Amino acid sequence: MDNRENHVSIELQESASAEPVPDLLKLITSNEVVVFDTIMPESETSVPSNGHQRKFSISISMPSSPTGAASAGTKNVLDVEDNGKGFNDSSSVEAPSKPKPKGDKFLSQPMPKGSVFGEAAPNIKKLKDKRFNSFKTWSGRLERQLSNLRGRQESESESEEESTQNLGREAFPVDRYFNALEGPELETLRASEEIVLPDDKTWPFLLRYPISSFGICLGVSSQAVMWKTLATATSTKFLHISLTVNLILWWISIALVAAVSSVYLTKVVLYLEAVRREYYHPIRVNFFFAPWIVLLFLALGVPPSVATTLPVALWYVLMTPFLFLELKIYGQWMLGDQRRLSKVANPTNHLSVVGNFVGALLGASMGLKEGPIFFFAVGLAHYTVLFVTLNQRLPTNETLPKDLHPVFFLFVAAPSVASMAWANIQGSFDYGSRITYFIALFLYFSLAVRVNFFRGFKFSLAWWAYTFPMTSAAIASMRYSSAVTSVLTQTLSVILSVVATLTVTALLVTTIVHAFVLRDLFPNDIAIAISDRKPKPQNR
Amino acid sequence: MALTIISMASLRSETQIVPVNSPQASSFTTTVQSSLSAVFPSRIKHSLSSILTKFHAGYFRISLSLGGQALLWKTLIGPTHDKSTLRHVVHMFHPTAFLLLWCFALFILSLLSLLYILRCFFYFKMVKAEFLHHVGVNYLFAPWISWLLLLQSAPFVAPKTTSYLVLWWFFAVPVVALDVKIYGHWFTKGKKFLSTVANPTSQISVIGNLVGAQAAASMGWKECAVCLFSLGMVHYLVLLVTLYQRFSGSDRLPAMLRPVFFLFFAAPSVASLAWESITGAFDTASKMLFFLSLFLFTSLVFRPALFKRSMRRFNVAWWAYSFPLTILALASTEYAEEVKGSIAHILMFLLLSLSVLVSLGLTIFTLLNTRMLLPDNDPISGLYHLPIVSP
Repeated sequence: MDNRENHVSIELQESASAEPVPDLLKLITSNEVVVFDTIMPESETSVPSNGHQRKFSISISMPSSPTGAASAGTKNVLDVEDNGKGFNDSSSVEAPSKPKPKGDKFLSQPMPKGSVFGEAAPNIKKLKDKRFNSFKTWSGRLERQLSNLRGRQESESESEEESTQNLGREAFPVDRYFNALEGPELETLRASEEIVLPDDKTWPFLLRYPISSFGICLGVSSQAVMWKTLATATSTKFLHISLTVNLILWWISIALVAAVSSVYLTKVVLYLEAVRREYYHPIRVNFFFAPWIVLLFLALGVPPSVATTLPVALWYVLMTPFLFLELKIYGQWMLGDQRRLSKVANPTNHLSVVGNFVGALLGASMGLKEGPIFFFAVGLAHYTVLFVTLNQRLPTNETLPKDLHPVFFLFVAAPSVASMAWANIQGSFDYGSRITYFIALFLYFSLAVRVNFFRGFKFSLAWWAYTFPMTSAAIASMRYSSAVTSVLTQTLSVILSVVATLTVTALLVTTIVHAFVLRDLFPNDIAIAISDRKPKPQNR
Repeated sequence: MALTIISMASLRSETQIVPVNSPQASSFTTTVQSSLSAVFPSRIKHSLSSILTKFHAGYFRISLSLGGQALLWKTLIGPTHDKSTLRHVVHMFHPTAFLLLWCFALFILSLLSLLYILRCFFYFKMVKAEFLHHVGVNYLFAPWISWLLLLQSAPFVAPKTTSYLVLWWFFAVPVVALDVKIYGHWFTKGKKFLSTVANPTSQISVIGNLVGAQAAASMGWKECAVCLFSLGMVHYLVLLVTLYQRFSGSDRLPAMLRPVFFLFFAAPSVASLAWESITGAFDTASKMLFFLSLFLFTSLVFRPALFKRSMRRFNVAWWAYSFPLTILALASTEYAEEVKGSIAHILMFLLLSLSVLVSLGLTIFTLLNTRMLLPDNDPISGLYHLPIVSP
């Protein structure tokens, strides 16, 4: 089954760790006719020859799917399913009537292709790429159109596949994610599950690029805000921090945001199916709020030398997509059936809620009145609900880890930002702000004293997102100590800032180690490749 | 001819009543009917008993909506600081038209109250079944809320008079009594109990407290108002969390009752108005409640698929759309008065028109379809005939 593919290597694997992005992007973008079967022969030379023979054995020995020609992956969701069936024939659940197994696509196509070209080389690439085709945007259709343009003969099989394909499947049920994955970030595959993409080789870079990479931007941009506050807050002026640190960090954040966004946008364009699966993942969906939060932080931390006042229109521009996203997600919590809160509540949901407070903070600092109050109200109501739900640890809730995990630091995020937002709305750090600030502080300390229980977790990029609560708590402490200046409060704010900086530095070192030494910064993203088997009792 | 038609109709409906009732209720019914026959001619008796058996507290949604509309128009034609053109236009709503509206609302409410009193008197077991049902019990607040709304919008009863005070006490005490009973259930029987019975109509109890608080504040009784307000808000908080979690999924509410989801944004709107009555101005807390209500409204409006099944057949649950919209429009009026921006006034105009259109549409639709109002196999009243009644 899958071990047959062990001997087939993808062109990317060799270059995967070193410079994945340029290779793939080069391959993709450099060919205006983006036909992977033309790309394939170019890099085909790197494929070891034994792969060719294996390829033939694969294509011949794989049983043809029973239900006839599957149509092309116009709906990539179906392709995913088909992939699973094609490769996991022996263990797969009986195919439902609707989706046709995509295995046919590989099986029927490479063979005629082989006969057309008379060479095995393109077929390997085609086979390999076809596996990832299911995750590509309009992959089959685009390729077919382009290959039709070039008069390839496989168009017949493709067209009949397309016609028989059943289009339109509804959302990936959330139960699949809970059944197939485990762990606090729902990243680890359960032993009984299989994935639709080959596990033993490195996938294309874009498929390995999770949305939680925006966490890095979150971490760094919140640091920029923190250093700006350190330099400008009245209570920390005695430290004489220069604004240069803020400037440097801010420009680094801008660069990071630009880089991460462009890579992820490329992923959206090229691998729309993978992005959809991330959106339906109960943990990853919250990271879709991260880009907006990052942009808000950037606006908050803009160095005075770059801009002293920002246009009000910017706030509306940033908050409108955020509003639509939260209308969708909160609506699902309350009114949806599958994704209701009692089922999907997890600490990462805080990312969905904290954005309201960050938006309120920015708006109020710009001088707006009604808009910030709106978002504060919405955020407060939903934060209360989320807080209670998470504290209850409902039996229907399967994602809360029993042990401590860095994700719990997200609890500190919302109250600390809310206290600052309320201070800006009211004009001073009044009782409401102080109450929320003390709540944040208490949560921080209750996690800090348990720090020895945080251990033994696999590093992931999402950890960057968990640093921003610490940074926010530090910023809130600085605001508080500016209002209530005493040695104790100033010491507290300095200590919290130091802790935040140290954490970020440690995280930076770890990231660099993983990126360049261990070369597993972007491991295969198992979470998006789970198969879509209908859950049978024995599979649970 | 007409009499025979009526008698045939009532006979037909009567034969349909019997299988629905439990044996005890039917024996009770026969004794009731025998007592009724002493009072009324049998045909009228048949139709009356058929009406009474099919009637339930959910019909007070109609009076709730009308009372809400009356309050809305009383506020709109009343004195205001709002200098905008929209308010001027609305101010031209003739006082006589408002009086007519109020009288109509009073008439409907009196009729419904009379019917319900008769039902209590003659079919007490059914009322008890309603009380024990997790949806029906909340609608027992609806009559009192309607009376409180009418009291607040009364054109001839000024808030600081004795008659107002007496009436307020008369309507508020049952609300508090129901509170004690129902919230006590939540509290003493443990959270598990609430999580199994909680459904969107539970917010009606919260609305009851808040409307009572608003009425008290307009009397000048600040302490009473704050007491009822805090009672309502605390339970609203608990309820909001529980409903959001949807621990038991969507199976607590039949699809026909989906319009009651509009109550999600009714409760914060009423809270916003109540807080405004208490503090005297539409301050930040009221604004926050108004915004929350606006957000929930937008959330629901973007999901029309939720309501498709309930819109297939006309039933009294459709009236559940009207009251929340009216209250939201009222809150937006107060907001526009406070904020004085053009966006606020546009919002007010939109919500006003929506609430008026919906209320008017529902009234006309109901008047044209009175037969459908008390259907023979109403799924909602059928709920109350489930074997919950214990001997």
